[in-house]
Amino acid sequence: MTRLGEFCRRNPTIVIGAMALMAVAALAIAAPWIAGDPMALAPIDRLQPPSAAHWLGTDFLGRDIYDRVVYGARISLIVGLSVAVCSIVIGLTIGLAAGYWRGVDTLVMRIMDGLMAIPAILLAIAMVSLNRASVWIVIVAITIPEVPRIVRLVRSVVLSVRTLPYIEAAVSGGSPGVKIVVRHILPATINPLIVQGTYITASAILTEAALSFLGAGVPPEIPTWGNMIAQSRLFIARAPWTIFAPGATLALVILSVNLLGDGLRDFLDVRLARRMV
Amino acid sequence: MTGTIARRLASIVPVMCIVAICVFLLLHFAPGDPAAIMAGDNATPANIAAIRAKLGLDQPVWLQFLVWVHNLLRGDLGTSLFWGEGVMTLIGQRAEPTISLALTTITFAVVVAVTLGVVAAAKVGSLLDRAVMGFAVMGFSVPVFVVGYLLIFVFAIILKWLPVQGYTPIAEGVLPWLRNLILPSFALGMAYVALIARITRATMLDVLAEDYMRTAKAKGVATRPMLLKHALKNAAVPIVTVIGNGVALLIGGVVITETVFNIPGVGRLVVDAIARRDYPIIQGVIMVFSGVYVLVNLLVDLSYTLFDPRVRG
Amino acid sequence: MNATRRSMLRGSLAGLGLAAAPGILHAQPRPSERRTVRAVLQDDLPNYDPIWTTANIVAYHGAMVYDTLFGLDAKFQIRPQMVTAWDVSADKLTYTFELRDGLRFSDNTPVTSADVVPSIRRWMVRSGPGQILAPRVRDISPKDDKTFVVALSERFPLLLDLFATTTTPVLFIMRKREAETDPMQKIDQVVGSGPFTLNQDETRVGSRYVYDRNPTYVPRDEPASGMTGGKLVKLDRTIFVNMPDAQTAVAALEAGEIDFYEIPPADLLDQLQDNPDIIVENLSELGWVGYIALNWLYPPFDNIKCRQALLHVMNQADMLRPTFVSPKWYRTCPSYFTCGSAMDNDANTDWFRSGPDIPLAKQLLKEGGYDGRPIVMLQATNILYMSNAATVLAQEMRNAGMNVDLQPMDWANVVQRRASQNPPDKGGWNLFFTSCGGLGNSDPFMLAQMASIGRKGWFGWPDDARNEDLRAKWMMAETLAERKTLAVEIQENAWNVVPHISFGQWIQPGAHRRNVTGWLHVPGVVVFWNLEKA
Repeated sequence: MTRLGEFCRRNPTIVIGAMALMAVAALAIAAPWIAGDPMALAPIDRLQPPSAAHWLGTDFLGRDIYDRVVYGARISLIVGLSVAVCSIVIGLTIGLAAGYWRGVDTLVMRIMDGLMAIPAILLAIAMVSLNRASVWIVIVAITIPEVPRIVRLVRSVVLSVRTLPYIEAAVSGGSPGVKIVVRHILPATINPLIVQGTYITASAILTEAALSFLGAGVPPEIPTWGNMIAQSRLFIARAPWTIFAPGATLALVILSVNLLGDGLRDFLDVRLARRMV
Repeated sequence: MTGTIARRLASIVPVMCIVAICVFLLLHFAPGDPAAIMAGDNATPANIAAIRAKLGLDQPVWLQFLVWVHNLLRGDLGTSLFWGEGVMTLIGQRAEPTISLALTTITFAVVVAVTLGVVAAAKVGSLLDRAVMGFAVMGFSVPVFVVGYLLIFVFAIILKWLPVQGYTPIAEGVLPWLRNLILPSFALGMAYVALIARITRATMLDVLAEDYMRTAKAKGVATRPMLLKHALKNAAVPIVTVIGNGVALLIGGVVITETVFNIPGVGRLVVDAIARRDYPIIQGVIMVFSGVYVLVNLLVDLSYTLFDPRVRG
Repeated sequence: MNATRRSMLRGSLAGLGLAAAPGILHAQPRPSERRTVRAVLQDDLPNYDPIWTTANIVAYHGAMVYDTLFGLDAKFQIRPQMVTAWDVSADKLTYTFELRDGLRFSDNTPVTSADVVPSIRRWMVRSGPGQILAPRVRDISPKDDKTFVVALSERFPLLLDLFATTTTPVLFIMRKREAETDPMQKIDQVVGSGPFTLNQDETRVGSRYVYDRNPTYVPRDEPASGMTGGKLVKLDRTIFVNMPDAQTAVAALEAGEIDFYEIPPADLLDQLQDNPDIIVENLSELGWVGYIALNWLYPPFDNIKCRQALLHVMNQADMLRPTFVSPKWYRTCPSYFTCGSAMDNDANTDWFRSGPDIPLAKQLLKEGGYDGRPIVMLQATNILYMSNAATVLAQEMRNAGMNVDLQPMDWANVVQRRASQNPPDKGGWNLFFTSCGGLGNSDPFMLAQMASIGRKGWFGWPDDARNEDLRAKWMMAETLAERKTLAVEIQENAWNVVPHISFGQWIQPGAHRRNVTGWLHVPGVVVFWNLEKA
């Protein structure tokens, strides 16, 4: 208990960030029990201010905003976390391979450089617009531009670790490459990847909002904070509650994730702070 | 050193090739029929098919790719399917607003963020430090278009200090040009302020902790000139790196800002082109943006030699 | 190509502040703001050929730089514009037209029949009703410089209606040179005989389109009315500004940075009406009609009972309200034709009067053999009224037990998908949404969307011989009374076989600064002559 207390005292940002996120995640998981149907529409009740019947008011189709914010937590968090997980898994694999087996390195890095050069948002808009809108295509569209950055990060870790004596010992000892990579090199990448993962989550949620703004987001039926804000942008003056609730939760989550990321970074490795941006 | 530069320049070629292939594949293997969009809602299907044939859109994809690459190497980015104007001409017309917006945003972001970062580092741990960093992170947490609308609402509608939208070319006067760019730069720059302030603060702290700084302070040398002269110079490398990386993000943010503030730049051009499936414009603009990004990063790498003599060898 | 490289370089250098001193880059003096109107319209101009494309916005451009033979006035009556007199032979097969004096193109050449005849021919190829007219035309030729003759092989009472309508493509008269362009390709120069000229130097495609008063234009000596009368231009310059963001456009209008905003979102109309400097004015009384296209080729809508079921499921008010907000801006309409137009009637509209009837719908679906398979509904996410209508109707259909597969995509994708005659699960579709101009929808003839000729027709491919038979009769009817009777029969049949469904009607009032007056009311086109700025 005291060790936990000590931890909390020394790292307030991690604690605050983590707790806020857990609260939001709990909300998202409990959605079916604490909220009604986010798709139920009643055009006759459109743009009602908050009241007993609708705690956060209704949107332009008469849908309950509270219900949509709660379910929106699900989709927004799913998008954010999926992008983080997918990009990390893919980036990790490629980065490990590129860093360890020099043969593929040049080719892979050129491809990664090429991908990084394409403006992420244009790539995402093009991918979503040119296909049917769905949550999956949005996740894929946001993930692809994130992969090169992970690859670079992982690769730089691999390059700095592989020259260490114990790695060289394992190599000369005849251990197969894959075993070395997985057992000895992979763990070194965990810390920076966790931190980067939090930043990616935050950035993915914001990118989804931007895509919704430009008309290339998840299907309009499906609630995410990003597309709730984007779809209600005409009502900033007339019905501010349509933007306020999703906007505030969005800002809160992004803030918490950023705090968590900052805290983890400071905690896990002070020197890492400089290498990572 | 010229060897390094030459090698770096040469490495641009394969990168741009990858970009070209990715972009072309992305567009041509996805559904969308510019001919049908152009012909309008009342057109008969037979007419639409005839138009498609005239535009050469019914040719095999690999042939269209070869034609495009061939033209690309001659410097011809093609012509817009819709307006018939050259893509290069269109980009040329729209380059000034986008470049202006990017420059003012970077200037604003760097100036504000470095100041904030330095201040926060100088008073590390204090309430001011936390407040400054908190403020910086807030800027990163709200979508750009929301910030944009709020700024328009406050400064253009209520206070009437600044125009709502539009762009004035610099040839018509520097002051009107600036007036149109203040709100967009602010909206777009907020996110970069957070990024740059964070890295400035972290690097400054590292430098301040260095032995020679502590010695100087113990000796009683004034800290402010030391901060500015030595510390900033050391912090320059990571800051410039962030700016280089930030160009890619900037290009993305420019697209939204140009839409909200109605700036007739390249970002708007490509977003409209995507909605219409005007392939030559989409391909051309992405190639140009990617080229710019690659060049900027090259310059960033080369600038390390300026800041850090250790790299020069 | 070198010129384009130079312009790109120039743009970049200017951006870096290394440009020449201010003022040198202006070749021509700019009219003052007092004599300029800035307008934000419904869309960006995709090209400059109003015959080649049927997109409405290009007709606005056309009305600026070109002129028409006939036009509709404010009461929808046909009046001559470029024509001064015309004559119809006793057998109604020969029309002789005489052009009025003073018609000149902006390159100072006179307008002659040698320009008019190819313009009509080119238009006939691209126009839906024009394609119906074409086989009945024996010959169109000039008689002399100012006279031309249209000789028909059979009667065509709607000839002048076709010449006068604003349903796209509008018959704008171009120079012989442009008019002889392949109808499947766009013209390459913009030279017209209209009240404005396009200022190519100042125009930046995708951003702003600049029109200057045409000093050689001689208006008719009548007051302006609709698309006809004297098209007197009292100001010097009109600029179409492309501003896609609605919020920004409203703010710009309020700040006086633009003078006219064609389609403010309905939710912001009250805010604009409350603003003392702004007037909200509806320029097109017939508005637009919502159109649901049904795919007749595949189940369930290949079955008449399933189509009828939809009539009992749909709630027009619910589909319109999210976008158009108040009954001030939308109305429900049970007629097959535009409510408020001459052909409007109430035959066979019990389904509307009694309101949505889910049990009856379910019954009809059962009789029609609906087996619960997914019904593919294309939802255009970037066009608000389409997106909202889809969301609402999908729910209503689901409430009636239909398995709706709502597929969101952008409009460009819808346009591409709807052309597919494949089964819905192989890249086809079952329904999509669009709209028709109120004028076009007010008769059974003008719009391709009103035909039911099966696979060769417009998307949805309805196939009904009786409808086609009645349409042909309507086309040949000579009197308004005859046409009205036929319209009743057409509607009676239509709500029985349900070739497509209308989901109501709306108007989209524009908003302009109080100090700009003289706005003309024209269906389907916004025109900029007759304006004054205080």
